[in-house]
Amino acid sequence: MAQSEALPADGHTLSAPAPVRRAPAQPQRTGVAHLLTNTAPGRLVLAVSVPVLLLILWQLAGRGTGSLFGGVLPTPDRVWAAWQTWAFGQAGLGLNPYSGTWLSNVLYSAQRVGQGFALATLIGVPFGILIGWNRLAAGTFDPLIQVLRPIPITAWLPFSIAVFGIESMGAVFLIALGAFYPIVINTTAGTRGVEKNWIRAALMMGARPSDILLRVILPASLPSVFTGLRIGLGIGWTAVIVAEMVAVKSGLGYVLWDAYYIGRMDVVIADMASIGLLGYLSDRLILALEHWLLGWRRLQSFQN
Amino acid sequence: MSLIAFNGVSKTFSGKTAVRALADVDLTIQEGEFVALLGPSGCGKSTLLNLLAGFEPLSDGDLTFDGQTVARPGPDRGVVFQEASLFPWLTVWDNITFGPRVQRQSKADYEGRAREMLRLVGLEAFKDALPAQLSGGMRQRVGIARALVMNPRALLMDEPFGALDAQTRLTMQQLLLDVWQTLGIAVLFVTHDIDEAVLLADRICVMSARPGRITREIPVELPRPRSIDSLITPEFMAYKGMIMTDMKVAHGAH
Ligand SMILES: Nc1ncnc2c1ncn2[C@@H]1O[C@H](COP(=O)(O)OP(=O)(O)O)[C@@H](O)[C@H]1O
Ligand SMILES: [Mg+2]
Repeated sequence: MAQSEALPADGHTLSAPAPVRRAPAQPQRTGVAHLLTNTAPGRLVLAVSVPVLLLILWQLAGRGTGSLFGGVLPTPDRVWAAWQTWAFGQAGLGLNPYSGTWLSNVLYSAQRVGQGFALATLIGVPFGILIGWNRLAAGTFDPLIQVLRPIPITAWLPFSIAVFGIESMGAVFLIALGAFYPIVINTTAGTRGVEKNWIRAALMMGARPSDILLRVILPASLPSVFTGLRIGLGIGWTAVIVAEMVAVKSGLGYVLWDAYYIGRMDVVIADMASIGLLGYLSDRLILALEHWLLGWRRLQSFQN
Repeated sequence: MSLIAFNGVSKTFSGKTAVRALADVDLTIQEGEFVALLGPSGCGKSTLLNLLAGFEPLSDGDLTFDGQTVARPGPDRGVVFQEASLFPWLTVWDNITFGPRVQRQSKADYEGRAREMLRLVGLEAFKDALPAQLSGGMRQRVGIARALVMNPRALLMDEPFGALDAQTRLTMQQLLLDVWQTLGIAVLFVTHDIDEAVLLADRICVMSARPGRITREIPVELPRPRSIDSLITPEFMAYKGMIMTDMKVAHGAH
């Protein structure tokens, strides 16, 4: 890590000359490719190009009948119309059971994911730190977690229904369980990766065990914790849909299965798109939180 | 009574193959004395320093600091690590005040002193910077300031300038000389650089490896205050020549 004093200190210092920075040789930065990858509108165009193309092809393939595969797959315009009715139609009116229920179903699912994910975080992070920090805890809980982890959350469904019934709590349980594993495992890895000299420095400065835990180990393992949170949240969305399809009578997963049963494939597709949208937005939320909390880390990786 | 006293101290690391890192070390350091520990890499310098810091238990012998047996790390022995080992998520100011804060000192008690240390190492302008925004030399200044802010009786430095480029190292050596001449606390300074040892220390303890032991103690009677200009005086050269011969002999004996 040999470095020059690149930043000027006070007059008291012998400042070494700033290192010469040469731009690496690069091809001429012009043309469409450069615009598409290096400007915000260009990147947006690039990102939406394939989805838009697919939507157009899909629409064109189903023109005439308004569907593909012999009436199974409705075209995008019909999905869009179904979604509008689902979202903004009057509730409880006419023959459409979904009219106007989009928001409430979104909220049901989001709330379950929120509760299960919060539970997984509140248990998983302290547990992960404990396992990473304490050999006794590691010896006790690590094997248990490693054995339980390969059981997919779908395999827990009958158990969950038997214990919690057809209730929201069953979904929350499955989400919490699914999200718990990546959170606890990544937190443990982060805790084990804390530099020994950080702990020694803190001890040297008179830190108590609780200070070491909260002021050194926790911030130092936070980058890994966030990796676990992001994976856990993804699993949480999978779990909520599975649970609602089978074990709860509300939410996006319930609508998905119910709409399929009564042959409303337009609602099915709109539902799938809604799940994708929510998953994406919640991931952005975690990313924003990470961005805010781990500013120091971004600086570091920019430097080195 | 000496501030620091190693009395027949040995250290063996157990493991698949036990490593005898230190054998029967006797070393005393007085209040305010600057002692350099000089030896090739792997000879046990860090081990000796870590024992005194309280990071590792001894295998044999006894080790006292200010008359008390060393049992654990503490703010009376400020440690400066080779790579500074600052907390990358804290600003320069928060790194420096970490010690006083975990010791539950009141802000009024430590703020003035922390500011003074920041000034002493020339980093007032970088109070709010993060470690990643600093050069290696500046990070090491923070490392020194955070150790000094606790008013330690001794400063333990493990090759603190070893990773810096030559010019920055000179700057830091000058800074350390100035700081030491201002504060007058005991320093145990680990290095493998003969120039550095002669320039800084009152006494040089030369170590040899396998098992690590102190083979010779050489008092350095160059006049104080010293500065990096001393590096080219004939007296300095004489000391350097003497130590180089000495280390060659020690090396040849193996
Ligand atoms: N934690 C440890 N476990 C086993 N061996 C160690 C450990 N720390 C140091 N050693 C060994 O002890 C010897 C002295 O190491 P060290 O004190 O780091 O030397 P130096 O600082 O002089 O380079 C080396 O042979 C090293 O491999
Ligand atoms: Mg060493």
